[in-house]
Amino acid sequence: MDIETILLLQQIMNGLVNGMTYVLIATGLTLVFGVLHIINFAHGEFYMLGAFFTFFVSKLLGLDYITAGVLATVAVAALGILANRLFFWPLRKEHEFTLLLSSLGLALLLTNGGELVFGADPKYISSPFADSIVAMGPMILTQQRILIFAVGAVTLLLLYLFIKNTTMGKMMRATAQNPEGAALTGVDIRRVYTVTFVLACGLAALAGALVGPTAMIYPTVGSWAVLKGFIVVVLGGLGSVMGALIGGLTLGVVEALAGGYISLGFAQAIGFAIIIVVLLWRPNGLFGAARRV
Amino acid sequence: MSTRALSLLFIAVAVLLPLATANTYLHHLLVLWMLYSLLALSLNIIIGYIGELSFGHAAFFGIGAYTTAILGMHFGVAGLFGLIAAAAIAGLFGFVIGYVSLRIEGPQFAILTLGFGSIIYTTTNYWVDLTRGPMGISNITPLGFGDLFAFTTALEYYYLSLCLVVGFGYACHALMQSRTGRSFIAVRENAPLAASLGINVFRTKLLGFVVATAVAGVAGAIFAPYLTVITPEVMSLHYMVAIIIMVIVGGRGTIAGPILGALIYVGILELLRATGPLRMVIFAALMTLSVIYLPGGLISLMKRVTGAGGGPGDAQPKTEAGK
Repeated sequence: MDIETILLLQQIMNGLVNGMTYVLIATGLTLVFGVLHIINFAHGEFYMLGAFFTFFVSKLLGLDYITAGVLATVAVAALGILANRLFFWPLRKEHEFTLLLSSLGLALLLTNGGELVFGADPKYISSPFADSIVAMGPMILTQQRILIFAVGAVTLLLLYLFIKNTTMGKMMRATAQNPEGAALTGVDIRRVYTVTFVLACGLAALAGALVGPTAMIYPTVGSWAVLKGFIVVVLGGLGSVMGALIGGLTLGVVEALAGGYISLGFAQAIGFAIIIVVLLWRPNGLFGAARRV
Repeated sequence: MSTRALSLLFIAVAVLLPLATANTYLHHLLVLWMLYSLLALSLNIIIGYIGELSFGHAAFFGIGAYTTAILGMHFGVAGLFGLIAAAAIAGLFGFVIGYVSLRIEGPQFAILTLGFGSIIYTTTNYWVDLTRGPMGISNITPLGFGDLFAFTTALEYYYLSLCLVVGFGYACHALMQSRTGRSFIAVRENAPLAASLGINVFRTKLLGFVVATAVAGVAGAIFAPYLTVITPEVMSLHYMVAIIIMVIVGGRGTIAGPILGALIYVGILELLRATGPLRMVIFAALMTLSVIYLPGGLISLMKRVTGAGGGPGDAQPKTEAGK
């Protein structure tokens, strides 16, 4: 293989790994929208919390990276219950703008609270996998990046099975289709809200814990995460988990290629350029169902 | 008191307010209040009247600001002509972006405008030849009528923007009494029904969007010469969100609401300055509490007390929120 092809393949592989983190972030966002019809602006903050909890658990309790990451994910998922009870559940009958603003308030609260508690300076999560390199032919990836991809893929598979097969998953799908109808048939909407937020926040935190060691973490990283999440979700179709998967991987690869061949500044805007084109062609995203009126 | 009496009282207070103090910093805050009021009133047309959420509004504010700044810097064109040029260019951008994105509605529209806003922000940051990039443009020529008169002090800018707020507020009021205004509300409440009554939904929304963006451009065109400095930060996510907060916390769909929202935004942040690093945390907490307990905005509290208010009631569309 000549150097150009190797470079191209390397970019695509990097893009797929970045894309997998986008998928993890976007899946939670799309779940909350699909099931509960909430645009959650605070979603990125749970990604931030996941990364910072991992950092502090491993630092203060002296635990290894994997245990810390798992603990952080569980803790943030539990925070999801609280967030739901305080910011979303009481407003479920209000206008969607009210809910959106409530989530914006939560986002501001967590970002600025995070800056206060964690400090504004960037931090670095140490992971035993961050420096070990795996060579696949001429291409090179760190073990950490392989871990991101593998854990992401397994988690998504588990989530898919959960939604497809368990009673809770069926209740979530029923609520997504028609909340009132679901409530009438005995679905406990309150529990559906709780479980959806636990899953969404857990997924975001997991993404934070996984990506933390490959980049610096800082308290304002949440707005980056939520913007990426929105791009992916709208690209794939709001509410579609499959759309989040395809959309996230696509965005990752396109950004990597644009960053490698055009310019890094352009790579930041290209996601938005893609969604504009896609939405004009398919207003509900690639996999979105038509919006009910 | 009737709405008319309340409006006149507001104007009287607003005219006299800066005379009560000689503190130039307070004058500065008053100018910010008025400019944000104008901006929030314009966004209110989109959020409150046509019922869509736009995150791109800060971009049009920025376009207006950059229009006056660049015209003044490169071509020596300044003065009130800059305001008209800013309105025209921001409105033109609004027309193109609205034409493209208003075919889509709801959350997708909100995120699409977020996309356009971010692209304009990124372009402003990277197109250094035109905008000087993140450095921004400084020494912007003040507004004025040729050589006859130039707006220099905060007080002059305050009265200029107050005139615009009162004028635009009245225009919104008049609009809502008109057939066009009622068709806005019809589109907001139930677009298919409005369409069945012969209202062209797309054109109605586009009209509202273009007017709103042009006015945001005017607000920007006063903001830049007033501060004499402009950086791409006015288009950042921070400002996008701030304007939405003003409109919804104040009370969407009313005229007094956005003005009150702007006052609260400027005032609370200023009052909280003493709390240092806790400032934004407290601000976010207050904002969230107000949203949770007063979903109709602060203006709904006043309505409850006085039984009066500006503009049409903000009845909640029943089909919304996906319920």
